[in-house]
Amino acid sequence: MSTQRLGAPGDLSEREREAVEALLYQLADDEFVVADRYTDWQCQGPTLEADIAIANIAQDELGHARLWYDLLEDFGYEESELIWERDAADFRHATLCEQSFESGDWADAVVRSYCYDVAEFLQLEALAETSYPRIADRIEKVQGEEHYHREHAQNWLERLCEDDDGTRRVQQAVDDLYPYALTLFEPTAKEADIVELGLRPTSLDQLRSEWYDITGAFLAGLGVSVPEESELDDLVAEQTGRDGDHTDDWQRQYNELTYTYRMLDRTEARRLMADPDEA
Amino acid sequence: MSDSIDPPTNSQAAPDPTDGPQYCAYTDYRSGEVPEDAVVPKNGADSEGLEREVWDALFEVEDPEMPVSVVDLGLIYDVAVREDGAGTHAEVTMTLTYTGCPARDMLIDDIREAAASPDGVDDASVELVWSPVWSIEFVSEAGREDLREFGVSI
Repeated sequence: MSTQRLGAPGDLSEREREAVEALLYQLADDEFVVADRYTDWQCQGPTLEADIAIANIAQDELGHARLWYDLLEDFGYEESELIWERDAADFRHATLCEQSFESGDWADAVVRSYCYDVAEFLQLEALAETSYPRIADRIEKVQGEEHYHREHAQNWLERLCEDDDGTRRVQQAVDDLYPYALTLFEPTAKEADIVELGLRPTSLDQLRSEWYDITGAFLAGLGVSVPEESELDDLVAEQTGRDGDHTDDWQRQYNELTYTYRMLDRTEARRLMADPDEA
Repeated sequence: MSDSIDPPTNSQAAPDPTDGPQYCAYTDYRSGEVPEDAVVPKNGADSEGLEREVWDALFEVEDPEMPVSVVDLGLIYDVAVREDGAGTHAEVTMTLTYTGCPARDMLIDDIREAAASPDGVDDASVELVWSPVWSIEFVSEAGREDLREFGVSI
């Protein structure tokens, strides 16, 4: 495995650049789409604190999406191309992120966030060893802002599983979301290069195995069961998102996301203030 | 949907009211340390000439939410003034306290304008960096005073 540090954005070979882009799209799209979904719960959470917490987590994830999209802008892309004018089928987020919430089921939001945040925690740990300096510089900042996401999800899971009805709801959400959660560990077309070039030296299989152990043990402690590890390969949702194949929920979310942009016939991302460089 | 959800419970023992104020159990007040040989943040103390003037202009820029200078807050990691055939450029390297900062564009614009304001500077650019990670230890003594006066404990 190569541990050689890669160069600046302009100095990458074509193979390196394609792998870096694939990894960045995956990271940025996951954060952006899951954040947008979390905002569905804003003003709908079971308590005022729950509202504020999930809105704040959404804001964190949007900030992290921006860090990764910024690194795609290194290659000359603009915000409008990266988000508002990109085809829905060009997004590479895992299909867990796009699932619409089971109406009124807070357990769905909590289980999703738990599955997502443990996977993100492991992925960031792996990325701390990245060979691409532009990513390496940002990892510690993101890690510092992720810690309480897991704590939030775990606290809520414990609270929901204090009685039978809550435990049943959590179990249902785990059963429903598990095939989609597994898509977080499905490869993009550039996965082999991502590992070989040391962009993320740990394989997705290894990450999934660690994720399975951590989440399985925690959920078991709450009386919630998960599938056997030997069943996982067969359980992965048909649409993984990593290859651009998404569920119908994504097209609806995408339409909603881009509605205003299209309605106003925009061709670029607007700023609240004029850029003084262009004034 | 909420009828099956119990009100929030706290599994920890109730705080003893005679113990004084209790911090929220779910809040993690992180602090870091500034190494002896830290290179950031900077405050321009040793700068001269045009760079000094750029630093002075940056001192005037306040955080959008609190009356404290961005320099005292420790956000400014470097200032360089560079001349080439096209003119004199001020280059500011800075960080933000939070990646999701909603005032990001506004603050960066303010800083860019301030850095370009001294006579003799033709234009300014701002580079946003995230390493080293900003921590509360980066706030200067003057910044701490300003924050305390504003009512933020630090």
